[in-house]
Amino acid sequence: MLILQVLVYAVLIGGIYALLASGVTLIFGVLDVVNVAQGAFLVFSALLTWQIWTWTGIEPLLLIPVMGVLLGAIGWAIYRGMLVRVIPQGPGMTVLLMFGVALTIEGILNLVFGNKFKSVSPDYFTDSLKFGGLVFPMPQLLAGGMAILVLLGLYSYLRLSWAGKALRASSQNADGAALVGISAKKAAGYAFAIGAGVAGVGGVLLAIMYPIFPATHYEWIARLLGVVVLGGFGSIPGAALAALLLGTMEAFATTFIPQWAPIFFYGTILLILVFRPQGLMGVKTREDVA
Amino acid sequence: MIEKMKNPKVFVPLGLLLLLGLAPFIIPDSEYEQTVLIACMLLAIMASGWNLISGLAGYVSLGHSVYLGIGMYTGAILGQAWGIAPMYLMPVGGLVAAIVAALLGAIVLRARSHSFVIISIAALWTIQLLAQIAKPITGGADGLVIRPPSWAKEFGPTPYFYIFFGILCLTILLARFVMNSRLGAGLVAIRNDEGKAAAIGINTTLYKITAYSLSAIPFGVAGAVYGQYLSFVNPLGAFGILASVTLVLAALSGGRGTLWGPVIGGFIIALANEFATVTSSGASARVFILGIILILVVMFLPAGLLPTVSEKWAKHRNRNVAVKFIDQTSIASSTSRVDTAAIQSRAVIEQIEGKNLLEVHDIRKSFGGIKAVDGVSLGIKRGSITGLIGPNGSGKTTLFNCMTGVYTPDSGSVLLGGEDITGHKVWTRAHGGLGRTFQITRLFRSMTVLDNLVAPLERTSPREMAAGRYSGEEVSRAREVLAFMGLQEFEKQKGSDLSFGQQKLVELAQVLMLRPSIVLLDEPASGINPTLIGKLSDVIRSLNDQGTTFLIVEHNIPLVLSLCTEVHVLSGGRVLTSGTPEEIRNDPQVIEAYLGPDANLEVPVD
Repeated sequence: MLILQVLVYAVLIGGIYALLASGVTLIFGVLDVVNVAQGAFLVFSALLTWQIWTWTGIEPLLLIPVMGVLLGAIGWAIYRGMLVRVIPQGPGMTVLLMFGVALTIEGILNLVFGNKFKSVSPDYFTDSLKFGGLVFPMPQLLAGGMAILVLLGLYSYLRLSWAGKALRASSQNADGAALVGISAKKAAGYAFAIGAGVAGVGGVLLAIMYPIFPATHYEWIARLLGVVVLGGFGSIPGAALAALLLGTMEAFATTFIPQWAPIFFYGTILLILVFRPQGLMGVKTREDVA
Repeated sequence: MIEKMKNPKVFVPLGLLLLLGLAPFIIPDSEYEQTVLIACMLLAIMASGWNLISGLAGYVSLGHSVYLGIGMYTGAILGQAWGIAPMYLMPVGGLVAAIVAALLGAIVLRARSHSFVIISIAALWTIQLLAQIAKPITGGADGLVIRPPSWAKEFGPTPYFYIFFGILCLTILLARFVMNSRLGAGLVAIRNDEGKAAAIGINTTLYKITAYSLSAIPFGVAGAVYGQYLSFVNPLGAFGILASVTLVLAALSGGRGTLWGPVIGGFIIALANEFATVTSSGASARVFILGIILILVVMFLPAGLLPTVSEKWAKHRNRNVAVKFIDQTSIASSTSRVDTAAIQSRAVIEQIEGKNLLEVHDIRKSFGGIKAVDGVSLGIKRGSITGLIGPNGSGKTTLFNCMTGVYTPDSGSVLLGGEDITGHKVWTRAHGGLGRTFQITRLFRSMTVLDNLVAPLERTSPREMAAGRYSGEEVSRAREVLAFMGLQEFEKQKGSDLSFGQQKLVELAQVLMLRPSIVLLDEPASGINPTLIGKLSDVIRSLNDQGTTFLIVEHNIPLVLSLCTEVHVLSGGRVLTSGTPEEIRNDPQVIEAYLGPDANLEVPVD
């Protein structure tokens, strides 16, 4: 029974990881940029959610669209204002730029919110559903369910809409996409906005599940990179599968060997990048036609 | 020497370094100033060390402070066990850091660009976690307390000041030594184009691991004494990501890839850090300021302070000097005047039995569902100029890449002079006598033509790697090869300043440096003008007369048919037919399948 219960947690947490990682993997797929500021975006959104909730007492889940749009706009501005200039200098420099953005956000959040844990606790915070002997804590159930819904929506949007197809075309061959009228710059800005917007949505969900303080963005980006690396850079289904796998491992480790829990993420990053750099579902490309 | 001392590039930094060494005497009651300068020197040491792998070879490591932590723990743990002060263990700290780096490097340096950056962070976090878990040895999350020696109170920070000063001087010497060595030239070649570096015979794995391991030494040495200076070591302090980012920022802002840039950057960033600590309420503001500076440097000063300033300075000084114009036609006419015996290939010297110099047997290579090469067997006769033609997508380039070692074939074998080289690395093949050029030229753009030629090493012993860049017979040989190609005028030009056609000639010259017995040319005539095509044919014929075998992949059919003694035609990943140019020209199968019914294969008559 304990194992089944841990599995329930694993799936709910895995859903959240999958959503959060989908933003990173989308941005990488289209822009070839490892957005290490995604964790900072998340924490920023979560702390803002906490602030609004403290002031107004509003149901936090209602803030999902607000935070999605807000972070999306910020992401777009960061792309147009900074990233676009740095991308030609190669991947090392874009990672450094996004690290600078992450540190700046962390510094600002530290100054505004201080270095204390904050958590959003609406009335249902301590409720749980009981079903067949299993416990479904309300915050986890709502956040996990919402994450899976948003992820499915995002995935079908990318699969079915014209804009989504344009993004995928641009991610596979930017020059070719430009030839058929897809502006690589616009596609990239759009992808970065969606990726950051996903972090905005994810931040709200995190706020009701976990206590947050600014420096936790390192933990989050470590988790997300682990998921994205295992799933294969650029693949959303890969990220979803990897999120479930790593979520499960983490849930079991937290129950049985808590101090070792983070090693699954770091260890996964090391092992996968060295021995199967394309991840579970990434594609190995021909080098000579790049 | 006196001439050299007048150069501001030499005496300004040395003078500043001397001034720094005298600081404890110049500044009265300088305890505070000395601690600030120690922080500056530590950052400069780390930035200079990082520069060896990330600045020279271009592998950006975001977790390099891990080696400082390893030095700190080495000093603390062994110092406690052996009952001595950790500062006496500085050499051990450096050694342990170098060994860990060599082991870790053998794994992590397999990854490139994005992956390497992420791995370097993940390695830092992993080791931090291990230090927290291994409580019996490391003291867990609380870390270890280091009791300072009894004299420490009496002298204040001054002994530490001079220890760090000494380490800084040694680190600068190490960096200077690496930069002026063959190893340094090879690392810059790797940063420019790793695949190409391998193709001209650079053992890229060995170079990268050596540089990575060397780069960890200053960290390990400094770490052993730094732990004692702080009087404690814990996982968060020793393996913090922030320290790693700070040192990258220092190297970046000063100028990565240069000797003094990381040192200058170390002082600037450490002083800014101190300023932020003094003027504001602590850590939050420091993180914020660090982030802002990082963004600004990446966006507006990506090359770093020193290169930007010295470029401005050079422009200012050279504003009245006219750039020398070099006429292209002088290249075309100058070949014959040079004694070509100097370019002798090893094929003349070595007389190996066997008719075919290069053979492939039943090579297969698929990409996903596409069989790019589907069972090709063919032989290249010793002393021949063999052509390989076929329509786009017929598998020429893939076969070519299987021969040169860029790809490992799914099945089949490659034989060079009767020896099976299927599993050999690219650089081993290059040293074994198999040279290649690229369809789109891949010169090392930031290096001079001469550097492009001397970068590869024939033997990779430590002595060879440590040898000076412009010493030995390689340089005179490089000049002979350049003269043979009529390129001697371009010796000091940068790769990126040459025209496309000139780059193709330099690329061929690079290959000749390896004394190849066979040269594989990938579309040598594409994108260059007819005069240079004529020149190229002359060079190929003249080398062939001396015994060098050629395999040419080319779309310019008249060129292939006029130059080659034998031609293989590929179609759909298989050999369609082989024969003399005469036979190929008249083969209706070739005309039908490859060129279409209306093709004209006549060699144009001048």
